[in-house]
Amino acid sequence: MLQQIFSRALALILLASSLSAAEPSHIRFENREKVSAVQFVLNNGTTPDKPIIDSTLGGVALLDYDNDGYLDIFFTNGARIPSLMKDGSSFSNRLYRNNHDGTFTDVTVRAGLGGAGYSMGVAAADYDNDGWTDLYVTGVNQNILYHNNGDGTFTDVTERTGMTGVSGGKKLWSVSAAWIDYDNDGLLDLFVVNYLDWTPENSHVCGPPGRRLSCPPSLYKGEADILYHNNGDGTFTDVSAATGITGQIGKGMGVAIADYDGDGWTDIFVANDNERNFLFRNRSGKGFDEVGVESSVAYTEDGVPVSSMGVDFRDWANDGRPGLFVTALGGETFPLYRNDGNGLFTAATYPADIGFTSFRMSGWGAGIYDFDNDGAKDLFSANSHVSENANLDSQQHYRQANAVFRNLGNGTFRDVSAEAGAAMRQRAAHRGCAFGDLNNDGKIDVVVSVIGGPPELLYNISTNNNHWITIQAIGVKSNRDGIGTRIKITGESGQVQYNHVTTAGSYASSSDKRVHFGLGSDTRIKEIELRWPGGKIQVLRDVKADQILKVTEP
Amino acid sequence: MKAAAVGFLLVVAASPAFGDACTGAETQLAVVFRDLARGEPASAEEALRPVVRDHPGCLDILLAEARIEAAKGDAANAGGMFVRYLQLAPEDPRGYTYFGRFLISQRQYQQADRISAAGLEKAPYDPGAMALRGQILDMRGESQQGLALLKQACQADPENGEAQFYLGTIFDRTRQPGEAVQHLQKAVSIDPHNARAWDYLALNLEPLGKEDVADEAYRKALAANIPGPNFDAFLDYNYGRFLMKRNQLAASKQHMDRAVELVPQVRAVWYERAKLDLRLLNYRQARIDAERAASLKDPAGIIIDLQIYSLLEKIYRHLGETDLARKYAELSRETPVPPRGDHR
Repeated sequence: MLQQIFSRALALILLASSLSAAEPSHIRFENREKVSAVQFVLNNGTTPDKPIIDSTLGGVALLDYDNDGYLDIFFTNGARIPSLMKDGSSFSNRLYRNNHDGTFTDVTVRAGLGGAGYSMGVAAADYDNDGWTDLYVTGVNQNILYHNNGDGTFTDVTERTGMTGVSGGKKLWSVSAAWIDYDNDGLLDLFVVNYLDWTPENSHVCGPPGRRLSCPPSLYKGEADILYHNNGDGTFTDVSAATGITGQIGKGMGVAIADYDGDGWTDIFVANDNERNFLFRNRSGKGFDEVGVESSVAYTEDGVPVSSMGVDFRDWANDGRPGLFVTALGGETFPLYRNDGNGLFTAATYPADIGFTSFRMSGWGAGIYDFDNDGAKDLFSANSHVSENANLDSQQHYRQANAVFRNLGNGTFRDVSAEAGAAMRQRAAHRGCAFGDLNNDGKIDVVVSVIGGPPELLYNISTNNNHWITIQAIGVKSNRDGIGTRIKITGESGQVQYNHVTTAGSYASSSDKRVHFGLGSDTRIKEIELRWPGGKIQVLRDVKADQILKVTEP
Repeated sequence: MKAAAVGFLLVVAASPAFGDACTGAETQLAVVFRDLARGEPASAEEALRPVVRDHPGCLDILLAEARIEAAKGDAANAGGMFVRYLQLAPEDPRGYTYFGRFLISQRQYQQADRISAAGLEKAPYDPGAMALRGQILDMRGESQQGLALLKQACQADPENGEAQFYLGTIFDRTRQPGEAVQHLQKAVSIDPHNARAWDYLALNLEPLGKEDVADEAYRKALAANIPGPNFDAFLDYNYGRFLMKRNQLAASKQHMDRAVELVPQVRAVWYERAKLDLRLLNYRQARIDAERAASLKDPAGIIIDLQIYSLLEKIYRHLGETDLARKYAELSRETPVPPRGDHR
């Protein structure tokens, strides 16, 4: 035990000594949207009254829908207001197939993914364990589950599966969703995050005529979230009430999953807009206890809620315990929580040095990823103010640049956005973003949606000699995607890192299911340990770096 | 500094009360008024003596004496002197301005309102009169008119420190730190001894991400913050909070300790020190401070009940006080979140 503590401490010292605030950052991104042949424009269908839905869309998914080993891109899109119908191709959701050469082909029509209604977010995973990634699209007036047929087409199975997003006879406004095997039965269930009780009829108008602003969520009632249990026969059952989800009324925008207390059962965090956040602690697959207040993640360090929007739930401190990174509005800071390991979290926004910087940002998409492969996970936020007319206030710009905070390995971060290339200085109405390795070069790229404009395909062009490994978990007894699998790796230098398989997180978006680790100078990995949701522990030894490793559950 | 002194002299020299009886005393009077602006009545009194001796008919002596008495806390005497000055020099807008400010300090707002209105009527373009009237209108809730007058005052006389300061505080209140900083920087350049202006400046540099400059401003505020009518009792609280955000916990503790001594009736100072105690893992002291905060009312809503409950829940949990922790967890859940603004 002592030896273990010592080796972990040594690894941390090694890591911290290899990083420093003064050291220039290697993190660089390049927006290759113009050469990608992706011609998507996110159309929010806004009207002069600026209804609140027009600012909250923009989900992105990175998924390999055709199993060719390369990530494809799916974008959700808006609809006409107030009809909430996609009555033109400019409102179509879009799927782009990766051509492996930096370009993409629009395959929406063939795939049958144009969608319906005012779409918001997306969650990708193989819910029926057939080896093909399926899609769940959330929306204001319509949620759709698409089954991947394995031949480049999808089938709308919403009605058949019962995953309509309707609760108590009413379609709730869904923003984000997360695939999760909450009862470890090998079948992926779905958690749907719902926002406000808004309809075109009860829509409020705020701000002066001609300069309308997005109304605050306080003008609308919140909604309960929904948990669908996978019955394994192509149908799902709404178990929200039975599992303790229904009793919690929030104003949910983002969702992320992790086994934060290490008990083998995956837990759920919901980012609520100006309401306390929820942390649903999994009661051994039998239900959930909402422990946000008791765990100190319901509110900020100041004991107030913020406009929580995006969230990621990963071990940014490299201590084996998933922490939280939440995006919020300007003037609030982005809450960052360190997992103390006893069921409690500590607010780390200012201790981690992201307080003063994030105070000036409004963030949506959020991610905890190692962008420079140095073995320490960094932070990314896709930024923009809510209101299009926010530019009227000199302190709040609608269009904002995205941000990347480099993990210095000592519990603090440094905002390196300005050094991360012209793409990271580009102001736009950024919304959702998804993370993954688009060109399989071992570096995490980011695709960001932009209201009223083309998306940003931020290729990671960070230049250093650091090594990496990407692990694709393939479940057998566990769900096929291995979602919920906890992975611990020990590099040849002794550095230990942790992560887990999930596609959930960020804002309304769905990221690469493969798990990426930066390895610094390590060219080999001493040990990879996978704790599958089914309970098996698998250990691989002496694995070489710089590869995408497929690991099948034994 | 030099520019500020010259500017002040120009204003004084241009005033109608500066008649023959004061000729030759301009420099000494400038020193007197400077000391008064710094909140140093004893020095002002000392500097005034030769003017009294050499220029006994100079009316500015009466105005200076009124302000000295006011600064020394003799409100009755000061009030009488201001009234007499206005009778003797009814056309001098300075009399209205200083008297109005004195009345504000005495919380005689209705009288201050009348005096400021009369001053502006006498001298509609006098920067001091505009600044005072703008401040009063803002205090009356007529913010737009107040803001407009203060802006006019600053344009007419950029060296009017009072106008610059008050305009800066309005931008602070309306959360426009960029604009606030512009005016507060001007205010401190005019009067580097204005601790409150330095404090406000630092507070508004924080959200702009200029932490190092804010730190310097706080230090200057501390250096300028001497006991007297212009003493800033919240400076240690503000600086303590800032240092806590910068993770300088030991230094923060010193200032928070001082803050609770200076304004023990204010909930926010106990609350923030309890938060600091929590970060320092001093749970027992955190409990004492948080419970003290809970016992105090906060009508301005700086620290709302929800914040107190949330903090107490954490502290009791760390102390193993399960029942209390549960009680405050429940209160944290049940307490409604106050709405913020009508848009965002």
